Amino acid sequence: MAELNLVLVTPEKTLFDRPVASVQLPLFDGSAGFYPGRAPLIGRLGIGRLRFTTADGNEEAWFVDGGFVQVRGPQVCVLTSHAVLVSEIDLQKAQEELEAATKETAVGQEAQEALARRQERARKLVSLAAAR
Amino acid sequence: MANARLLVKRLKSVRNIRKITRTMELIATSRFKRAMDRATEAAEYTKKISEIVGDLGKAELTFSHPLLQEPGETKRSVLLVLTSNRGLCGGYNGAVLRNTLRHLQELRENDVAVQIEVSGKRGIKFLNFQNIDLDRTYTHFEDSPAWAEVDELAGRYAADFIAGRIDRLDVSYTSFQSISRQTAVVETILPLSRLAADSDDSDSTVGVDYEFQPSPQEILEEIVPAAFRARMFKCFLDAAVSEQIARMVAMKGATENADEMAADLRQQYNRARQSGITSELAEIIGGAAALE
Repeated sequence: MAELNLVLVTPEKTLFDRPVASVQLPLFDGSAGFYPGRAPLIGRLGIGRLRFTTADGNEEAWFVDGGFVQVRGPQVCVLTSHAVLVSEIDLQKAQEELEAATKETAVGQEAQEALARRQERARKLVSLAAAR
Repeated sequence: MANARLLVKRLKSVRNIRKITRTMELIATSRFKRAMDRATEAAEYTKKISEIVGDLGKAELTFSHPLLQEPGETKRSVLLVLTSNRGLCGGYNGAVLRNTLRHLQELRENDVAVQIEVSGKRGIKFLNFQNIDLDRTYTHFEDSPAWAEVDELAGRYAADFIAGRIDRLDVSYTSFQSISRQTAVVETILPLSRLAADSDDSDSTVGVDYEFQPSPQEILEEIVPAAFRARMFKCFLDAAVSEQIARMVAMKGATENADEMAADLRQQYNRARQSGITSELAEIIGGAAALE
C-alpha cells in the first residue's frame, strides 16, 4: 500500500519522521485530510490537532501551533513553532492560561489580534486536553 | 633549600590549575556536543523554510513585506550583542566586543541613535566599564537558548520594526562556519535582506506544480516573520556553539601550558635539590677533612 511520510519539524528539533497511512491537520480555514497520492500543496496551518493513522491502524494526535505544511509526492512536511502530544498537554496549566487570556483586554489592532490568537490557542489546548 | 621548597609550592599550584582547566575542557567538550546537536536539529527548520520560499519564488510573486522593506533613512537602530555569561573562553568575548565597539562608532558617525541590548554577563560588564548605556540586558540565555525565549525577543523587534519605531536591527555575535572556524560578525537582520538561505537544493523542487492554500501572497506574509525568527534563533545557537568551541580550545591550550610549566618546574626543582645535596656533601667532606 502506498504510504505518506510525515515529518514534524519545530525550530528546536525534528520531532518525528515516520511513514503513515493518512494525516489530518488543521489548515488555516478548517481541518484537512491527506491520503497517499495527494497533489503537491503548500498550506498555512491554523491552531489545532494534527492526527495521523499508521499502516497498522494506530492513531496519534499532536497539538500544533500554526505554521506551514508542504506536501510533495509522498512527503508531508509540517513546520510549526510549537508541537506537543495531545496526551501530554497539561490541562490545568492550559485552563489557567485560558482564564488569564480571557480576562485580559487589548487596545489597538495588533494587540487585539495577538490576544485573540492567544485565546484561541488556549481554548484549543483546553478542548483537546478535556476530550482525550 | 628554600628555593626548592618554593618550587614545590609553585609546582603544586600549577598542577591544581591544570586539573581545573582539564575539567573545564572536558565539560566544554560535552556541552559543545549538545549545543552542536541542537544546532543541527534546528537547521532542518531553516532549510525547510527556505525550501518553501524557493517554491514560492516560482509562483512569480512580488516579494513585499514590511520586514523586507528598506526604510527611507536609518535613524534609530538596535544593536543586539551576544556574549557569554562565563569567562575562560579565550578570545570569544573579546572578538565580539571589539567588533561591537567598531560598529557603534560607525553608527554614531552616521548620526544613528542606537539602542544597545546585551546578552551575557561578560558583555554587560565590559560595556558598563566603557560607560556605554545599555537599554536592556539578558543573562538567561545559557548554552542552550530556548526557542520560546528567543521568539519573545524576535516578536518584539518585528513589531517595533513594522511600527517604524526602529529602522534597523544588527546582531553582533560569533557565527559558526565549521568546527575549526568561527568568526565574530555584525549582521543586519532587519530589514531582512535575503529570505532564502543558500538554497543549493533548489533544483530538487523544479517542476513541482504546487497548490497554495490560501494563496502564495498570504503564505509569504506568514513565512517572512517565520524566516526572521528562525534567523534570530540561528544567531543564538551559533553563539552558543561557538562559545563552547572557544572554551574548549582555550582550556586545551591552558592545560598544555600547565603541563609544560609543570615539567619546567620539576626540572628546576630537581636541579635545585641536586645542587643542595652537592653542596651539603661538599660541606661534610670539607668538615671531615678539617678534622683530620
